[in-house]
Amino acid sequence: MDLDLDASTLEFQAEVRSWLAAHVRPLSSMDTAQGFEEHRSWERLLASERLSVVSWPSSYGGREASLLQWLVFEEEYHASGAPGRVSQNGIFLLAPTLFAHGTDEQRARILPSMARGDEVWAQAWSEPEAGSDLASLRSTAVRCDGGWLLRGQKTWSSRAAFADRAFGLFRTGPGERHRGLTYLLFDLRASGVTVRPIDQLDGEPGFAEIFLDDVFVPDRDVVGEVGDGWRVAMSTAGNERGLTLRSPGRFTAAASRLVELYRKNPDPALRDRVVDAWIGAQAYRLHTFGALAQPLSGPAASVTKVFWSELDVALHETALDLLGEVAPGWRDGWLFSLSGPIYAGTNEIQRNVIAERLLGLPR
Amino acid sequence: MTPEQLALRDAVRSLLDKHSDVRAAIETPHGYDKAVWARLCDIGVLPIPEQHGGSGAGLAETRIALEELGRTLTPSPLLASTLAAHALLATGNEEACDRLLPRIADGTVATLVWPWDNGRTSLDGPARYVLDGDLAEILLATDGTDLYEIDLAGVTREHTPTMDQTRRLAVIHLAGAAATRLGHWSPAIRDVALSLLAAEQVGAAARALELTVEYTKTRVQFGKPIGSFQALKHRMADLHVLVETARSAALAADDEVAAAVAKVYCSEALFKVASEMVQLHGGIAITWEHDAHLYLKRAHGSGQLFGSPAVHLERLRAKI
Repeated sequence: MDLDLDASTLEFQAEVRSWLAAHVRPLSSMDTAQGFEEHRSWERLLASERLSVVSWPSSYGGREASLLQWLVFEEEYHASGAPGRVSQNGIFLLAPTLFAHGTDEQRARILPSMARGDEVWAQAWSEPEAGSDLASLRSTAVRCDGGWLLRGQKTWSSRAAFADRAFGLFRTGPGERHRGLTYLLFDLRASGVTVRPIDQLDGEPGFAEIFLDDVFVPDRDVVGEVGDGWRVAMSTAGNERGLTLRSPGRFTAAASRLVELYRKNPDPALRDRVVDAWIGAQAYRLHTFGALAQPLSGPAASVTKVFWSELDVALHETALDLLGEVAPGWRDGWLFSLSGPIYAGTNEIQRNVIAERLLGLPR
Repeated sequence: MTPEQLALRDAVRSLLDKHSDVRAAIETPHGYDKAVWARLCDIGVLPIPEQHGGSGAGLAETRIALEELGRTLTPSPLLASTLAAHALLATGNEEACDRLLPRIADGTVATLVWPWDNGRTSLDGPARYVLDGDLAEILLATDGTDLYEIDLAGVTREHTPTMDQTRRLAVIHLAGAAATRLGHWSPAIRDVALSLLAAEQVGAAARALELTVEYTKTRVQFGKPIGSFQALKHRMADLHVLVETARSAALAADDEVAAAVAKVYCSEALFKVASEMVQLHGGIAITWEHDAHLYLKRAHGSGQLFGSPAVHLERLRAKI
């Protein structure tokens, strides 16, 4: 599929490309205190050109870009080697939820500072006993004067080691499992919050445990209706699994790097795998362009999640095999890719969703 | 296995169960636990004949020990010292064997610099990825024709940090070092190296699967141990098939083709099992604290050691 871009999209593409070429520079790992602040500054720089959230309304810091323009932005962004987005939990997961379920007051209060990187968000879904079985979560929010008191423990909270605020699900009752849950926002520096960073397999604290001991949340930080949190959260999960978090630009850029790597280290035994990875990235790109006509949502997002996460692992493994023991430049990407089939709902869960909800197979 | 071999396996396993701590070992300056290494030498896992001060163990016994060391990822000089001892024995140089093998049997670290493709090489260039290269007190090297003893006085060497922290590798610069010819180099050393590594890979793969099975029996989601879900059960059953066939490939690795087969098959098997170990554990395996990443990094490093599977596949293609 060769896209004929209209004049304004071409102009936008040229602007983004030249701005990135002039501004992209390597940053330290965002999972270190210093690197996190470097990434926050990068978000501010993007925001100063209204490039941090191009698809959002201009009143919140965006440019009202179309989905096509957003895809173009993402392709340029990843092709330029620009830094990972420290704000991604907020802009790709919480923001779509606020657009769908938040109030005007919440959007006006939360989105502009998110777009500028002034507030970086962490997600707080999983608990030690509630991973794939998220509906078994036990952290509670208890009614109090003017709001709620949070109690319990969250884990695998990406970016929580250094982030400012978090969004998560809490049991408010009545009812069990998917019922009686509420979607709440809380301050990671509030009284009663203890954050314990967890070192990841690369040795850096990319995620954290969050202990909550009577943490106050005002009523204005309830998203959606009290007790309707599961439905609200699943709209976020669809975003995480679907294409917003993992745009094709990320994979087409990585596939191009892989092909370059092969040119420098040609190894006939790996040739087919390099081409397979490149084809996979192209296929994913075409799949997402298909979504321009028919947006992916709900269970269909599970299809993309399985595809991009397994493509990412295969792509990095091939690079590693080309490079040998030391694997400069690809090691961290490989280790990160391994978490793709796990987070945002494991691929085992996604396959259940595909089997049961798309194919109609019995539970 | 013979009763003696079973006893050897049990002795090594029991030693490692009690005393091996891979995390502590990789934090030491030398990257391995010297006390554990001394006990392994006492057990007699090095393939050194009694007449040269050894236990009389053969390569079969060393393979058994390496499989155990692979299970626990215990860093040790066994692979490096074994290859050096074996290359030395293959020269038939009695004087050198009498002089060096008793020291190796006692635990002095020895290593061998050799071209993994068995080509001709110069002793003047830098040698990369030499096992225990910065630690060895006995250094042997080959140019692909003869075996030499290298005088450490003229050698510069440095530790190479790689992804797998459980295996010590170094760059060695031999240019300017005095080399004494010991005898002919035996190209079959490569096949020995591949078969020993394959045994170690099988041990690591078997243990990684055991740990994964254990975890899925105890981790409860949706009110059941996750190991009861068929989607996971079938994957672990497939891994079991892979580990057992890899074990057969490693055991059969006693000629050039079979050793190459073992290298390719066991490298791919360990990588697959370690990758699945991460996926089947979920979030906990993405942590530094959990051992899954140690198995995964060992799998990657072992795959590349002595030539990647791709290199050996190319070689097999020409042979078969």
